[in-house]
Amino acid sequence: MTRRRVGGIAWIVAALAAIAFAVVPILWMILTSLKSNREITQETSLVPQALTTANYVSLFSGREFASYLTNSVIVTAASVAIALILGTQAAYVLARFRLKAGMHRYVGFSLLMVRLLPPIVIIIPLFLVAQQLGLLNTQLSLIIVYAAFNVTIVVWMMESFFREIPVDLEEAAMVDGDTRFAAFRRIVLPLAAPGLVATGIFAVITTYNEFLFALVLTSTPAAETMPVGAATLIGRINVDWGAMSAAGVIGALPIVIFSLFVQKHLVRGLTMGAVK
Amino acid sequence: MATAMTPGTAGAPVVSGVPRTPGRTLRGSGLDRVLPYLMLAPTLFLVLGVIVYPLIDGLRSSTGFYRFGREIRSVGLDNYRTAFGDPAFLDALFTTARFMLLAVTIETVLGLGLALLVARERRLIRRIRATLILPMIVTPVVVGIVFRLIYASDVGLLASLAHAIGLDPPQILSNGTGAFLGLVFLDIWEWTPLLFLILLAGIQSMPVEPFEAARVDGASGWRTFVDHTLPLLRPTILVAVTLRSIDALTTFDQVYVLTRGGPGTSTQLISIYGYQTFFQFQQVGYAAAMLFMVALVVLVAAGFAVGLMRRRPT
Repeated sequence: MTRRRVGGIAWIVAALAAIAFAVVPILWMILTSLKSNREITQETSLVPQALTTANYVSLFSGREFASYLTNSVIVTAASVAIALILGTQAAYVLARFRLKAGMHRYVGFSLLMVRLLPPIVIIIPLFLVAQQLGLLNTQLSLIIVYAAFNVTIVVWMMESFFREIPVDLEEAAMVDGDTRFAAFRRIVLPLAAPGLVATGIFAVITTYNEFLFALVLTSTPAAETMPVGAATLIGRINVDWGAMSAAGVIGALPIVIFSLFVQKHLVRGLTMGAVK
Repeated sequence: MATAMTPGTAGAPVVSGVPRTPGRTLRGSGLDRVLPYLMLAPTLFLVLGVIVYPLIDGLRSSTGFYRFGREIRSVGLDNYRTAFGDPAFLDALFTTARFMLLAVTIETVLGLGLALLVARERRLIRRIRATLILPMIVTPVVVGIVFRLIYASDVGLLASLAHAIGLDPPQILSNGTGAFLGLVFLDIWEWTPLLFLILLAGIQSMPVEPFEAARVDGASGWRTFVDHTLPLLRPTILVAVTLRSIDALTTFDQVYVLTRGGPGTSTQLISIYGYQTFFQFQQVGYAAAMLFMVALVVLVAAGFAVGLMRRRPT
């Protein structure tokens, strides 16, 4: 055999191993969720002998998972929307203006530092404040907190995207009679759309997946999100493996589907714009 | 609305004196003078109110002694001193450090290997890449569930595999070393894709000349890797490793679902210990003091990482 062919075979083996490494654990959860509990505990079979949807039905029969899902969608959508609307404006200002006290130099940096702080450090004081304001266990508290965390990352990512857009285009629009704000909206924002999409994707994935804040700030299905719902369920049932695996599948499904839809822009989003 | 940018309102085009380079800053006049501050204010208020104010509040509470969640008296810096005499705190720090070092090292090596494996641009290879990043998208809590279903001593994937080839099922989550290594393996599975993505981008943006020259000189694949790939990739590796380390330092969700810190304290990372100190033991001041010390370490590392990201030509 030639060296080249050996290399080719080695490549295929390595690639298959990598794919198996990534996929098999998830596949196992899906397979388990489709087995009956009797089959899971007694037969230790690798592949389900008789498929059942009983585990999924049980999740939704108590209706709680429907409200977890609703809460997650509302909280994620609202907080990301707020963060994008406020954050792009701030990012534009930081990218284009010279501000008093050198703010354009350090505000973006400071916001990112806040973002990189361990959430566990902030959650304790945040819990105490939410308690004083009577905001515990509401969607609103999560929306506000997530919006604040998302806006830091929106500013950081969008500032660099705005810097890549030549100033001349806005100037031309303003010479033609646009106000600065109109030029920002009509000219700059559309040009920054790919960056906006990448930023939005990152924010949606991290917000949907967020666990600690939701765990601490919510306590009933009225406000609990999907990750909290899944975690508390498995805390209660412990050995009901069928329900646990179904909860895992349902918990991750919305965000995996979302990722499939935005596949093209995913890489830029997932790496926080560190990758251009 | 009149705009200061049109020639005539301010006598001359305001921006005419500024060199025409992208990314330069502007100065307006009239309403445009306050507009930037108006556009910036909502973001600043949101972050100051929701993150910075609670932080300062937390810093204040870290100097208090609490009982049943109420501050009894101020104790100055005692909480900070207590931490260094608290074996559980030091143990959690040590566990976290071991976890971070082991997981991030292996993730970097694997991530680099994967990146080199699929660096070429082909349609099939792009498909493979999309599959490989799946673990980092899956909700962390669900990742915890996935690995409970793998490690479970009676019904888990490993137990079933062992059963199929006639071996005794491995006991992973019931002993300290097993649970710790199980957690490290979980982290490797979940986060190797991130290292892979960042390093892949680094590889693809490397100049081609040194590699062509190496080929002309007849250098071996390994020599080319050591002499050219690694040195060129070093800044990217540094950024990726720092970002991942910051995140690994505060790992919480997966441990919460997989082991809750046990058995014993074998997987009790600092975030889990801090969480329990606050919510189970109600030691508000002590928990805050402990976590602020961790935050200090993170801030230094984060400043370092952000500095690197800024300097990197993109």
